[in-house]
Amino acid sequence: MPSLARTLPEEQPTQQKAVLRVEDLHTWFEVRRMGFFKAGDVRALDGASFELYAGETISIVGESGCGKSTLAKTILGINHITKGSIFFDDEDLSTLDKEGWKRYRSNIGYIQQDPYGALPPFMTVKRILEEPMKINGVRDKAEQTRRIRQVLEEVKLAPIEDFLPKFPHMLSGGQQQRLVIARAMVLEPKMLIADEPVSMLDASVRVEILQLLQALQRRHNLAILYITHDLSTVRYFSERIFAMYGGKIIEKSSTAALLEQPLHPYTAALFEATSDPDAENLKTFKDVPAGEPPSLMNPPPGCRFHPRCRKMIKGLCDVQIPPEFWVQEDHAAACWLYKDEV
Amino acid sequence: MSTRDKKIVLDVQNLKLYFRTQAGPVQAVDDVSFQLRAGHTLAVVGESGCGKTSLAKAILRLLPRNISTYTGSIIFDGQDIMKYDDEKFRREIRWHNIASVPQASMNSLNPVIRIEDQLVEPLLIHERISRQQARTRVAEVFEIVGLPVDFLQRYPFELSGGMRQRAIIAMALASNPKLIVLDEPSSALDLLSQANLMNVLKRVKQQTDATFILITHDIGTASELADEIAVMYAGKMVEYSSAQYFYTDAHHPYSQKLMASVPTLREDKELEFIPGQPPSLINPPTGCRFAERCEKRFEKCSMQPDTTYLENGSTVQCWLFEETGEVKHA
Repeated sequence: MPSLARTLPEEQPTQQKAVLRVEDLHTWFEVRRMGFFKAGDVRALDGASFELYAGETISIVGESGCGKSTLAKTILGINHITKGSIFFDDEDLSTLDKEGWKRYRSNIGYIQQDPYGALPPFMTVKRILEEPMKINGVRDKAEQTRRIRQVLEEVKLAPIEDFLPKFPHMLSGGQQQRLVIARAMVLEPKMLIADEPVSMLDASVRVEILQLLQALQRRHNLAILYITHDLSTVRYFSERIFAMYGGKIIEKSSTAALLEQPLHPYTAALFEATSDPDAENLKTFKDVPAGEPPSLMNPPPGCRFHPRCRKMIKGLCDVQIPPEFWVQEDHAAACWLYKDEV
Repeated sequence: MSTRDKKIVLDVQNLKLYFRTQAGPVQAVDDVSFQLRAGHTLAVVGESGCGKTSLAKAILRLLPRNISTYTGSIIFDGQDIMKYDDEKFRREIRWHNIASVPQASMNSLNPVIRIEDQLVEPLLIHERISRQQARTRVAEVFEIVGLPVDFLQRYPFELSGGMRQRAIIAMALASNPKLIVLDEPSSALDLLSQANLMNVLKRVKQQTDATFILITHDIGTASELADEIAVMYAGKMVEYSSAQYFYTDAHHPYSQKLMASVPTLREDKELEFIPGQPPSLINPPTGCRFAERCEKRFEKCSMQPDTTYLENGSTVQCWLFEETGEVKHA
């Protein structure tokens, strides 16, 4: 078993309280024709349910347009919920008033993909870090200074005094991303949502940022939702992995179980498509399905992967939407292939 | 298969490309030498800003205006093309013999012109063949890259990103060039399209015996296609090695660190990162440019290392191998 892919402590899933609970979450975007007539909905997120525990990382993998960023943004409250509910600390988000939302948002940190785009170019490091505190009512100057020092120390932007007056363009890509993390941490959140936090960074910096996030998680018992298209980083960074396709979560698994054997044909294709540096790669062709992900305005009936799937069962996969089949205790796939294995 | 009997198609010696800036010349490509044999694929890897794209531009002579130094020799197919004037280079080399697929070029197709007309155009200009012949040729290469021929009548927006990228590669293949430079051909694509594209390029490589230079930051993807790996760091080519040995047995301390930072899906390993940052290319250190971040540095590293030829045919620019390898002075 991989040494870095941590498994959950045994009692965790049942007894520990979930920080975040998502139930049957749908996010649809309305498409209008000529600005007035409703032309249909883009079903960007079409039914997602899961729980995220303190101190745990869930990786969400999938290709562009699979709904992984929509899921993150809906949890962050940037997108409206079409159907379903989100509970944070057992509190339903739909019942929150303005103050409640403020409290909720200060409990979740958001780490964006492009650090340079996420940082205001006209603000110094100091102001970037003060801003969330000003908005969220940490007004005591001494407390502000203490927190700024603490987060900068934690993200290893040292010496602190040198960095405080700098502007984002004076930092390297890795430093910018560390500043984004510092900003996400300055309100002492319980949960982080990291949307492709390392995809814009060079390989040697990537590992540094992931290890930094891991260290923060251990120190503060953070729950992390790690969204990525890069399968090769997830084994080092998460307890559980969810794969998404066409707006649905199609596979849920512990990292160890998934690495041993991906169940859903789509997840298996993602595995096949990921190359590890190996001279043998030169000699073999990759066995990956052709075609494109479906339109989310008119998704295919049944399983959304069936038009590209080689193991498609006629009369079943193209008709009925597969439910989640729990093949192992810690491993489920929404695929009809496993209907008899439960 | 013997690699030594194939003809050397590209022989680059002491290539330098410096850009003029207000702060001083930027040494984007500094004294790079390598040889590439026909039918082989060279993957140039390195982090952003290491000069890999500048190297491609220097070979194709697609240069911006602020050039301060552009010297060295590029022997292509027996001819020193550095001596060609711009007009001769344009007529005889660019696109006709060396084609290129620049970064994000799938977005460079003209949205209001059908794919076929765009693919035919370079053939009419560079190959001087009739429109009908050009059409036939374009249909041929479309098949090689695995696109249905009727897609030629479509507009770019009707194709997905992966298909557009394949159309661009078809365009580069159409004039039957001896060398194709691919700059990050797959990094803007999704995982499955990326794998499909690599399959296509592999098939092209087998069917046409084309020579590729693949520029990428992703060593995993590079391993799909590369026969040779060149590692660039801060404008220098610090290692040039057969892909057969490189992934497991890289020599330069930077290459080793780079490999240690690549996450792998199938194998569990301790990931490392490289502390510090690459030096500025405006006033780079006089010695080895990696010395500052290198764990193995010693006194000699304050001098620029010579290129050392190792037993397995690799070359490396590092003083550590001075005794084990054979040093050839430039």
